[in-house]
Amino acid sequence: MRSKTIGSLCFDAGIYLFLTAMGLITLLPFANVLSKSVSEEWAITSGKVGIFPVGFQLDTMKFVVTSSQFLHSLLISVIVTLVGTLLSLLITAMTAYPLSKRELPGSGILIVMFIFTMMFSGGIIPNYLLIRQLGLINHLGSLILPALINVFNMLVIKSYFESLPESLEESAKLEGARNYTILFRIILPLSAPVLATIGLFYAVSFWNDYFNPMLYINSSNLKPLQLYLQDIVMNADSSSLNRSADDLMNVPAEGVRAATVIASTVPILLVYPFLQKYFIKGVLIGSVKG
Amino acid sequence: MRKISKTAALAAVTMLLASSLAACSSNNGNNNAAGTANAPDNSGTPATAAAESKPDLKRLSIWQSEDYNTYPVAAMLQEKTGYKVSYDMLPQDKWGEKLNLIMSSGEPYDVVTTYNDMALYSDYAQKGALVDLTPLIDEYGPNIKKAISQESLDALKIDGKLYAIPVVVTYKVNSSILIRTDWLDKLGLKMPTTTDELTAVLKAFKEKDPGGNGDQNVSLTIRGDLPMLDNLVGAFGMPNTWNDVDGQLVPRLLDPAYKDYITYTADLYKQGLLDKEFVVNKDATAKEKFTSGKAGAIIVHWADIGGISDALTKNIPDAKFAFVSALKGPSGEAGFSGNAGFDRLTFVPKASKHPEDAVKWINATLEPETFKNLAIGEEGKTYTFENGAYLPILPAFNDERNLSNNYMSGTDEQNYPLYWQARARKNPVQFAAFDSLNNQLPDEYKIQNILGLAPYMPEYAKNNLQLESMAGDYTIKLIAGADTLDGLADFQAKYKAAGEEASAKEINDWYATVSK
Repeated sequence: MRSKTIGSLCFDAGIYLFLTAMGLITLLPFANVLSKSVSEEWAITSGKVGIFPVGFQLDTMKFVVTSSQFLHSLLISVIVTLVGTLLSLLITAMTAYPLSKRELPGSGILIVMFIFTMMFSGGIIPNYLLIRQLGLINHLGSLILPALINVFNMLVIKSYFESLPESLEESAKLEGARNYTILFRIILPLSAPVLATIGLFYAVSFWNDYFNPMLYINSSNLKPLQLYLQDIVMNADSSSLNRSADDLMNVPAEGVRAATVIASTVPILLVYPFLQKYFIKGVLIGSVKG
Repeated sequence: MRKISKTAALAAVTMLLASSLAACSSNNGNNNAAGTANAPDNSGTPATAAAESKPDLKRLSIWQSEDYNTYPVAAMLQEKTGYKVSYDMLPQDKWGEKLNLIMSSGEPYDVVTTYNDMALYSDYAQKGALVDLTPLIDEYGPNIKKAISQESLDALKIDGKLYAIPVVVTYKVNSSILIRTDWLDKLGLKMPTTTDELTAVLKAFKEKDPGGNGDQNVSLTIRGDLPMLDNLVGAFGMPNTWNDVDGQLVPRLLDPAYKDYITYTADLYKQGLLDKEFVVNKDATAKEKFTSGKAGAIIVHWADIGGISDALTKNIPDAKFAFVSALKGPSGEAGFSGNAGFDRLTFVPKASKHPEDAVKWINATLEPETFKNLAIGEEGKTYTFENGAYLPILPAFNDERNLSNNYMSGTDEQNYPLYWQARARKNPVQFAAFDSLNNQLPDEYKIQNILGLAPYMPEYAKNNLQLESMAGDYTIKLIAGADTLDGLADFQAKYKAAGEEASAKEINDWYATVSK
């Protein structure tokens, strides 16, 4: 330790400074949106708001957070995320388990079929027609059902199952346990780390999904937060050429848009730091054992 | 034996058909009578007939920031028309694609309202996705007939059939050059009335530093995607995208005045009187420059004035501004593009389960009193009537009728423009701007966009957007000096080949029939 020269210390300090600065740069856009959300509208229009708010006020934020549309969308998002994640975990694990057994007849073909759907899909129109035929247009089921199994996640769980010692199951069988008991009482409790990771993957993807709702949801009281956000934030200028004065006068103010972005980002931002370690673990599981 | 079996087969088929028809009609009956359990028994009695004649309707509209179903207008319309309508809305982004998806999957909406997109509308109509409204309006639409002019209906006919009802644009002029009059006063200059005077004023703005920005003054700022500068294009005799040149409609790029226009604007740019950075300016960037007091003039829509005024006066309390009226060009021409045509179109898809009721409902919303209520609400509550003008009562008007234009399927074309001014009056500064461009401007300067009311023309509809963006990009290059007029003839040839020739033929064939 002592042997470090002044030169190398300076070098290290330089690197740390540089990296810290780079890290802070990534925060700039966020800081800009954050300060716009608490600044006065006139200051935003005249381009005075940079990293720090100008004319600090919380009215815009209050207006956004208390608007019934926002709260409604938040509720929809929470429901879809919770229900979707739980169902996804259950179904994914139940799919992965038999596929992890070599003795399952035709398991090779089944896995190829799953992987096939990873690479190719029918496209938007057939999917839309399918969802329509299922009667799920304008139904929350359309947000959950199509995303229920992510094949990659399923494969990660499957490889985790494969790594569990087979003797556990054999002894359970000797005790008279049947397949469901083995899965739910023995395998799943042992798989908590991988389930936490995959659960997080699912939760984030359900939370962030806006494409499915954009296609399948028409009614405004079933729109999840991301879709609500996209509608508000979509800048109207590019198309304002064709729009009438009424539309121009009703474009949401920049401050409102910024506040909506912040209000809908904060919930998931609060969750991230606490769950980040699982993310890293999850990636390792995938890479080492997959 | 053979004969018998044939008869038997026929009988069997007839029975099958009859039963399937019966199934169909009983299904329909159930649908219509939603809620009345014993509908089939006494379908003849007037009570159930009335209940049956008002099914719930489903309407699809464009995006708005509040839920259609809970906004006060929805309840008012339900009360006045007796129809319960449930509203869905398209997303703000890529609404056209979503609409295509919905239309092609046969989603049973009864009424669909979109922005005025002739290409989309004509496409649906020609593919047979829309209900022909002519017979329905004849039968159920007396108010529709009274409210909407024949001119408007004719412009929407496709192969002689009418598939949509329009919401008209209610004012003529959109934008002009907004100029800082306090800068003019400071320098002892008068409001410019010709293009030469404008050049002189902009030069003084740049050189004499009335804004106190040193050499940072921007004389005239514009957004980068609108190189056909309103008011200036009019001064060169081409206010609209297609203008009458010796009895023929010609697009700007082929207009003999195009060269003069480019020479003038490119010279402004060269002298540094037009924002040096205009090519990368977004709408917001240009407004930033004006509202922070750096720019002396900007080209904006009058509807943007509210926000601009708030921001500018916060930054520079004694700032004043006004729209420059129609400037005279070197050959004495002047004017603005005058809006003509439609803002929204409303149609009834083939997939609708109740096309007659859809038309009846539209008809009911156009009953004069109901329409007035729809447009501006109730007297004393959301508006007052003074000196022949409708004034909004704030904030009630904002809360209850701000979004009411989204609920219209058609408009009372006689009265709506007057009702509508209540909207422009929500902000006095904005109304002053609107007033100067519309009410006070002499009509000779509002040069109507002839194509606004043109019927559907397939070539034009197909090529229009692409031609516009081609001409726009080229014009930006010319103004910013990245290209010179030497290549104009070549580019014009390319432009013609890209669809202008076909469009022009179609347009002028039609124009010949109306300009007689």
